[in-house]
Amino acid sequence: MALLEVRDLTKHFGGLAAVDGLDFDVPEGEILALIGPNGAGKSTVFNLITSYLKPTRGTITFLGKNMTHLGMHEVARKGIVRTFQETNLFREMTSLQNVILAHHLRCRASDWGHFFYSRRARKDEAEFRESAGAILDYLGLSPYRDELVRNLPHGHQRALEVALGMATHPKLLLLDEPFTGMNPEETDTAIEMVKGIRNRGVTIILVEHDMRAVMGISDRIVVINFGKKIAEGKPKEIQHNEAVIEAYLGKEEDGET
Amino acid sequence: MGQLKSLRTIVMFVFVVLYWVAFPLYFRNSNYHLGVVITASILSCISLGVWLTFSIGRINIGQGAFAAIGGYTTAILTMKLGASFWLCLPLSGIVSAFVGLLIGIPILRLKGVYFAMITLCMTEAVTLVFLNAEKLTQGASGIMNIPRPGALTIGTITIIPAYQAGHYLYFYYLAAFLLLLVLIGLWRLNVSRIGWIFRALRQSDTLALSIGINVVKYRLIAYGICCFIGGIGGSLFTVSMQNIFPTSFRVTDSMYFMLYCFLGGLDYLLGPVAGAFLLTGSFEALRVVQKYQEGIYACLMIALMLWLPNGILSLRFRKRALGKELKPEG
Amino acid sequence: MEQIIVNGLILGMLYALIALGITLIFSIMNILNFAHGQMYMLGGFVVYYLYGVYHWNFFVALGMCILFLAVIGAFFEKFFFRRVLRVARREESSMLLAMGTALLLENIALISFGEKQRGVPPVVDGVIQILDAYVPVGRALLFFLAFVLIVALLLFVQYTKPGRAMRALAQDKEATYLQGVDINRISMLGFAIGASLAGVAGGLLASIFPVFSGSGTAISIKSFIMIIIGGAGVVSGAIVGGFVLGMTESVGYGLIPGSMTYLLIFCAVILLLALRPQGIMGKPWG
Repeated sequence: MALLEVRDLTKHFGGLAAVDGLDFDVPEGEILALIGPNGAGKSTVFNLITSYLKPTRGTITFLGKNMTHLGMHEVARKGIVRTFQETNLFREMTSLQNVILAHHLRCRASDWGHFFYSRRARKDEAEFRESAGAILDYLGLSPYRDELVRNLPHGHQRALEVALGMATHPKLLLLDEPFTGMNPEETDTAIEMVKGIRNRGVTIILVEHDMRAVMGISDRIVVINFGKKIAEGKPKEIQHNEAVIEAYLGKEEDGET
Repeated sequence: MGQLKSLRTIVMFVFVVLYWVAFPLYFRNSNYHLGVVITASILSCISLGVWLTFSIGRINIGQGAFAAIGGYTTAILTMKLGASFWLCLPLSGIVSAFVGLLIGIPILRLKGVYFAMITLCMTEAVTLVFLNAEKLTQGASGIMNIPRPGALTIGTITIIPAYQAGHYLYFYYLAAFLLLLVLIGLWRLNVSRIGWIFRALRQSDTLALSIGINVVKYRLIAYGICCFIGGIGGSLFTVSMQNIFPTSFRVTDSMYFMLYCFLGGLDYLLGPVAGAFLLTGSFEALRVVQKYQEGIYACLMIALMLWLPNGILSLRFRKRALGKELKPEG
Repeated sequence: MEQIIVNGLILGMLYALIALGITLIFSIMNILNFAHGQMYMLGGFVVYYLYGVYHWNFFVALGMCILFLAVIGAFFEKFFFRRVLRVARREESSMLLAMGTALLLENIALISFGEKQRGVPPVVDGVIQILDAYVPVGRALLFFLAFVLIVALLLFVQYTKPGRAMRALAQDKEATYLQGVDINRISMLGFAIGASLAGVAGGLLASIFPVFSGSGTAISIKSFIMIIIGGAGVVSGAIVGGFVLGMTESVGYGLIPGSMTYLLIFCAVILLLALRPQGIMGKPWG
């Protein structure tokens, strides 16, 4: 049984099908890339998996349980967390505070406990602070611990998003264009980091336009166009797939390298 | 920086002494003067509830409704069932919170003007309810001659003595104590993880949801507490005035609670307290212009928005970035 | 039954006028005019004094109404809201300012006119009969006048240059600015028109409802209810909201005792918000 099973996933906006009858599996420990020309529906897929949007049709099964009707925070609680394409962070807080907050799912103390500052709450806070520090370290963000997010350069904000994702200890992490705006060196470093996250036991799905990064990091690739899956397989297979090449040539894509 | 901090501590110490010792001692025989501070204290309490809803990013112009609900609950229970005030006080809070949660479930997902509009309508609606439920509330005539609090006893031990006629100081310290409790409670809330969750809610719901925060639950917690505080404030107010009418808390009062928060500064826990005291005090000082009260408040609101959009306390205590410490301001 | 419907329609038309005013201001400037009810009230007083006391021609009185409130609206925009919108960091600031203007107008009215309730006789006498309903000619006139004003406004917004600028401003402030439109002037015009709509409604309704300095709050609340029902910021929503409220009020007062009607309306509104937060005509958000 795969970690995530997507069956017949469909989303209509008005008359338009942004996602149409999508089927794919993600086995545990895999890095799966979801690629396709602009507007193919990739972000919509993420929105559907995390319950930001409700599907018109289809099911999403995670660890054998149907997730389709859960709320966003419940999906997160089950272990699926995402980053966003437009950076979504708590801008008026520091990096450290952002990451500490993201440990929310790992709270052992109850709300009352936190209010009365019980011993468990104190332990939680201490633990989260340490863990947050370690995560920031891992992503090279330590110098910016105490910096307000709105003052951070864009690249660091994106890294911070990944930090938030890591803090939740997800089983499945959805990365939305993590390498956007990076030069080749930065991309290579980032690829290693993402692999490192996978090695800690996190399954990863990523949406990305940077083909070099995608080829370098993915175990498997799913290609969608107009909301439908047009190809699926290992990177080498996809590279030479006729339908894929046509889909990309059909639209003038400037994300390719 | 250290100097500023010790200056602040000194100023706070002075105020505390004034409030708890000097003023009540000096004016202990003047019901009028005590009354002003009692009113200011209670209004501060109620406004602190509004402050809490601000902290989750909602503009709450409906607190008057919950003060009224609290007040009427106490009045009815005391008059019709002879219940002890000490029971009515928390009960009023609970009733208000309950109503608040009921209404909160549909309306809390609204934001900005939409939320504000509906809370304003709510105040009016509650006024109408109390105006119309004549059997229970005696309608426009209101409920009067509400008895003073008896003693709070457990077994044979008297924890709080009964009110004795002529000793209005009783209410002074009662109100002061309530304010203190509310302040401590909200401070604790603000400083804890829950406070951080509230701040997160204010900045990005979506992000909060995606890291597993049950946004709906926490919004309800904040709003429920706000209504609870409104209820107990209304309860104490009713008992100290010994009466309540449908007009005791109207739309204008709901607006004033917001004004107090704003005047003091929304970023500071003590903001509503500063605002309420400043306005209540200066208003009493200008008693001669009673007729113009609304007008003066109006000009104040307008002037405030034109020149001091971030409140009075922002002049003195520049708000440090939430970054450096986990300590709250104010 | 017809009587209730006819009353509802007449009231609906006049309420739609009020709703359009507040919607105009909201859609252009994103400000909720808390003083809308007070502007309505002042319109009533203008007509009371000019037409009721000094016996000017009714239409001239209405015209003065429009003028008077337009000046107030323009003043508020230029000297209060423009500055606060530019300077304030929080959304609440303009709201608090709007509340301040409402209190100010109410207090000025209270000091100037006292608390006494006043009224104005109907403009025209006589009654006409439509099916089973009796309609005083005066009210039919009000219905007609409101209709004319609403149509005039819609035409203005649709076909004139400033009107189109207002629509553009409501849709996209940046783009409108880039097209060289003087945003300040259009905003001022919009506020003036919105205010005068409230005022003229107050003037028209002066012969039906009592005019007194405290009547503003209730009308403001009704305005809010109308735009919540119909959908804020949308012209069609304002009209729908106006008629829905007018009909509901008429039916309610006809069938249920006193203020229970509005209590039920409030509950219905909260229910509506729970099920369809954007109102009947509003665009879905979120």
